[in-house]
Amino acid sequence: MSDFLGYLLTGLGIGAGYALVASGLVAIHRVTRVVNFAQGAFAVVAAMLTSSLLAAGLPHGFAELTGVLTAALAGLLVGLVAIGRPGTTPGTSLIITLGLGIFAYAIEIVIWGDQPRSFAGVPGVAVVGGARLQAHYLLILAVTVPVFLAMAAFFARTDVGKALSACASNPYAALVVGIDVRRMGLLAFALGGALGGLAGVLTTPVQQVTFDSDVTLLVNGFAAAILGGLTRPVVALGGGLLLGVAQTLIAGYGGSAYQLEVALVLMLAVMIVQASRRGAVPEPAR
Amino acid sequence: MNRWLLVAAVVVTLALPPLLPERHLGTFVLLGLAATVTAGVSMLMGYAGQVSLGQASFYAIGGYAAGLLTVHGVPTLAGLLAAPVVAAVAAVLLGAPLLRLRGHHLAFATLAMQLILLSLLGRGDWAGGAIGLQGIPTLPVGGDLGYAYLSWAVLAVVLVISRNIVASRAGRGLRAAATSEIAAAAGGVAIGRYRLTVFALSAAFAGLAGGVYAFYLGYLSPGSFPVLLSIEFVVMAVVGGLGTIAGPVVGATVIVLLVQALNTLGTQPGMPGYAPSVLSYAVYALLLVVTVLYLPRGIVPAVTDRLVKERRP
Amino acid sequence: MNVAEVAGLTVRYGGATALDGVDLTVAEGDLVALIGPNGAGKTTLVKALSGLVRPAAGRVTVRGRLAQVPEGREMFGDLSVDDNLRLGGWRNGRGGRDTTEIYRLLPALDGLRRRRAGLLSGGEQQMVAIGRALMARPDVLVVDELSLGLAPLVVTDLIAHLRTLNAERGLAVLLIEQNARLALDLCRRAYVLEAGRIVLHGPADDLAHNQRVTAAYLGGPVR
Repeated sequence: MSDFLGYLLTGLGIGAGYALVASGLVAIHRVTRVVNFAQGAFAVVAAMLTSSLLAAGLPHGFAELTGVLTAALAGLLVGLVAIGRPGTTPGTSLIITLGLGIFAYAIEIVIWGDQPRSFAGVPGVAVVGGARLQAHYLLILAVTVPVFLAMAAFFARTDVGKALSACASNPYAALVVGIDVRRMGLLAFALGGALGGLAGVLTTPVQQVTFDSDVTLLVNGFAAAILGGLTRPVVALGGGLLLGVAQTLIAGYGGSAYQLEVALVLMLAVMIVQASRRGAVPEPAR
Repeated sequence: MNRWLLVAAVVVTLALPPLLPERHLGTFVLLGLAATVTAGVSMLMGYAGQVSLGQASFYAIGGYAAGLLTVHGVPTLAGLLAAPVVAAVAAVLLGAPLLRLRGHHLAFATLAMQLILLSLLGRGDWAGGAIGLQGIPTLPVGGDLGYAYLSWAVLAVVLVISRNIVASRAGRGLRAAATSEIAAAAGGVAIGRYRLTVFALSAAFAGLAGGVYAFYLGYLSPGSFPVLLSIEFVVMAVVGGLGTIAGPVVGATVIVLLVQALNTLGTQPGMPGYAPSVLSYAVYALLLVVTVLYLPRGIVPAVTDRLVKERRP
Repeated sequence: MNVAEVAGLTVRYGGATALDGVDLTVAEGDLVALIGPNGAGKTTLVKALSGLVRPAAGRVTVRGRLAQVPEGREMFGDLSVDDNLRLGGWRNGRGGRDTTEIYRLLPALDGLRRRRAGLLSGGEQQMVAIGRALMARPDVLVVDELSLGLAPLVVTDLIAHLRTLNAERGLAVLLIEQNARLALDLCRRAYVLEAGRIVLHGPADDLAHNQRVTAAYLGGPVR
């Protein structure tokens, strides 16, 4: 029983990381209809930068915050290239973000090399209800939950949050009332960058990061986000947590290293079920 | 004019291999194979309007099919012929559920497909596991020079098939489907079947190239088929020009030559050890982004447009 | 003084000319109708007035503030009625997004505040669209296809609101309508747009008795 509780809490901690990546994807997709393939790179950049800053002797907190803000800036830059040119379709933007994700490899290797990196998080082992787990997982949860609450408040209570939702709901009407839809798209990219970066700095102490870790993060994030059709942040949170718990339980009870496969098969199943329920509704091709 | 250009291209291609130094002959072989896979990607993206981020899966399936069969005693020619067939069958089985998806869903699904395949190959002892499949016999084509001609002959066959598909009724139907599925369906085009056919055909192209690759190198491992390889094929297709016949050849050539040149530069004494990989990542990324933004139809359509304009002022 | 003025306006989409040398003015407190068949370029004119398309030639001058009630109502369907209204005041900054005044002007919306706009009836949505446009505190209101898809009774109610706003607050209205009878009844002046050109303009009463207008838009001679 205490095994189960331990797996559950660990899984929630891992899932929180996925949920953050997923909510970044959702934030960007809702407003711009672009699926951002560079989403995993934000996490890698933030984590790598944080590890450098910590190694240089800067204090915890400051280093992580700098990492997250840099990821937000990276998000803004990706957005500028991906949607900055008028008339760029979401399909084209997707290909651009794919290219920028690979470009990030080049930058990351030049700055940080191609070896795995990590840094210390909350040290030690926590005991919750008889279950033992790395204490850092509790920190991940302790940060992620308030972040999601703050995001919910941002979208529900602030005018800028409502304007973002308005762009998602009806971009033409947003133009009519004078909302700069492109600028809102860039804001969404920056927000997505920050959320991806937060996922990176939170999970790196328990899962070291390499320049090409972005594929795993992206796939897990997408699998979590697709449950809510890439438009519902709350479902993305649930999806991320569920995925994390499922993977940890499967690994814990003997499935050893089939973690990514769980996400992949789940993602395929969800998409195929969604597609057959929709009937093949054609999306605009590129 | 077009015909003369084609003749010139064929003559140059035939004359080139004996003139190339040994170390560049390998590049020539791999270029032919890359262009062969890209021809399928280009057809898939240009005619079915879909992004596949898993085309290297079929390259791998073809390679492993040829490799496994011949390692177990099947004649090499039979192994080579089986490669495209196995890849196409796999594509039909996978495509039946996956092709219900569109756009970014299909992109992620094909990416997932490849990650799962790599994981299966890495764990499968029958396929040599993570270490790879060794001891694949070579084809009796007379060494590297023979492989150079073989790979480009394979490319020629694939291009002729593409050309016929493009000109066929099915090709026109698909082009309609790429622009508007609803309109195509209204026009009585059996989109689902056409899309599956193109998917299987593009997989067969990749599988055939993979078969040649297996014999040429003599060993295979999951590491030979990273996700990045699939993305490279997409970059080559986009840069060359989607849905054109010459596009895949031009795209693959431009990129392979650029990467090769930068590789030479990156391995100069005094360059850091990471230089070659950094430069090639940067090339793929920048070419893709710049092409999509400023030359959205790719190099080949842009050039032919200009030529047509010059001839009719 | 004119709150909105269009002079020699030409708009092209690719090769096609949507508007060709259009002149049109809306004076302070004016009620102006723009009628014409489908595809005449009415919606393009609305977009040009709102700055959403760029003219190939000519000038669009808006003195004061122009707000648009777009064709098809264009709700923020996932947002509440109150949020729809608030965002109508987006340009005013945070201080100018209070919705109290709108509920006083359009009391029917008061009971709908928390409802999702996408779930309202067509008439209710049109009311929200008007309220959202009023949130911008406009000097001139451009209403594109007010009556489209709405029951006659609902339209009468909406028209009454526009009349009141015009009379009590001096709000100028440019009403773009396929229903020419409705438009000519409400407005003082009118323009007829056909194939991108203004073919007729003058007092609404005169146009209502113009043979060409009655034949084309009013289903034969008046009474």
